[in-house]
Amino acid sequence: MSENLWVLREQKRLSVATLASRAGLPIGAIMEYESGTRSIDPRHLSRLARALYVEESEIRLRSDPRPAGSQLQKEEPPKEPAPTSAMDSSSPASNTRAPGMLGGRQRIARPPRVVSEPRPPAPARPSQIAHLEDLIQRLGKDRAAFEAELGRPLEELNRLEASTLLVKLQTELRSAPTSDRHRAYLPEAVDQYELHYLTAAKDLGSVLDFTLFDGSRVDGQVAGFGPYNITVRLADGSELTLNKLAIATYRRRPGTQIPDAREQAQ
Amino acid sequence: MSLGDQLRILRARRGGITPAEIEAALPELPKGLYRQAEQRYRSIGDDKSIQMLAEYFGVPFENLRWRLDWPRKALSRAFVHAIDTRHPITLHLSNGEIVTGEVRWWDMGAAEITTETGGVVVQRHAVERWEPRAPEADE
Repeated sequence: MSENLWVLREQKRLSVATLASRAGLPIGAIMEYESGTRSIDPRHLSRLARALYVEESEIRLRSDPRPAGSQLQKEEPPKEPAPTSAMDSSSPASNTRAPGMLGGRQRIARPPRVVSEPRPPAPARPSQIAHLEDLIQRLGKDRAAFEAELGRPLEELNRLEASTLLVKLQTELRSAPTSDRHRAYLPEAVDQYELHYLTAAKDLGSVLDFTLFDGSRVDGQVAGFGPYNITVRLADGSELTLNKLAIATYRRRPGTQIPDAREQAQ
Repeated sequence: MSLGDQLRILRARRGGITPAEIEAALPELPKGLYRQAEQRYRSIGDDKSIQMLAEYFGVPFENLRWRLDWPRKALSRAFVHAIDTRHPITLHLSNGEIVTGEVRWWDMGAAEITTETGGVVVQRHAVERWEPRAPEADE
């Protein structure tokens, strides 16, 4: 028992475009098949059957025209104005379309969409609460006092409020004067101490005694330095740049005070 | 001294040959291993790779191999341990010098040790071994 293509399509709740996409066929061909304008090309039959999950025998090769009032109605293609020529003097057919028709298809008024009530904001995630607790602790704040200032417990925050608060506390932590976070085993994070030491030595004009790997010694004031070298001004006024890889140690002359690099770094 | 620091020194002594040139000269070396061995703070490398590097630099294998057990990270841990426990640390430097004292500060490149004769800034790459070694449980 075969069935019209448009019936099968509507049973499967597919649009023409979806069926065309699934079958890999042009929309226009589907519309022509459904309207019965032409029979289904045998090469397209198997594609349509697969797309509709039916047997090929279930699809009627030439569909009956859709009855009036059905969802989609293929309109007769508008006739193009005939070229005016001496050979053909017939008046061009009107190509105006009926109201509500667009591109040969009739627009079906959809039922009004039901607007659901806005959902209440989701409560804060447990991970957000844990992160907030950690930040409050790292900022040296008392949780109870913080919640009192907030006006409610952390657990009563919603997700957005918790997120906003996290950003605020993280910013506060970064700008806090006591945020010289010493990451114990990641010295990359605290590479400023030698810099402060050498800066102080340079500013104070302190004389440093450098011991090099080859056993030689160099005494002088720090004239400048970089990540890989230190330039020393010697007693005769000349300058010598030492590669740090060549330096084993250096020490300040007895009686010379250089402020604690850790205090300067803070 | 860590393997990475030693490799950096060997590379400098070779006139500043680049890691890319070393990797090109040693095609059997796993890709990226040399850079990681030099840059990372953990132990990077295996015996086969270290053997290749030792032959390339013309140094004994064991001269590089033992350094795997003394990575930069372990020295950082020892500095932290010394500061936390307020115990002195003893550093054995590659020039034969031994520095003992409290750690005043340490960072990526150096550490200041307060010795009986005053503060000494020790370059980390000069440290061969140290005592005590900090516990490794939390590495």
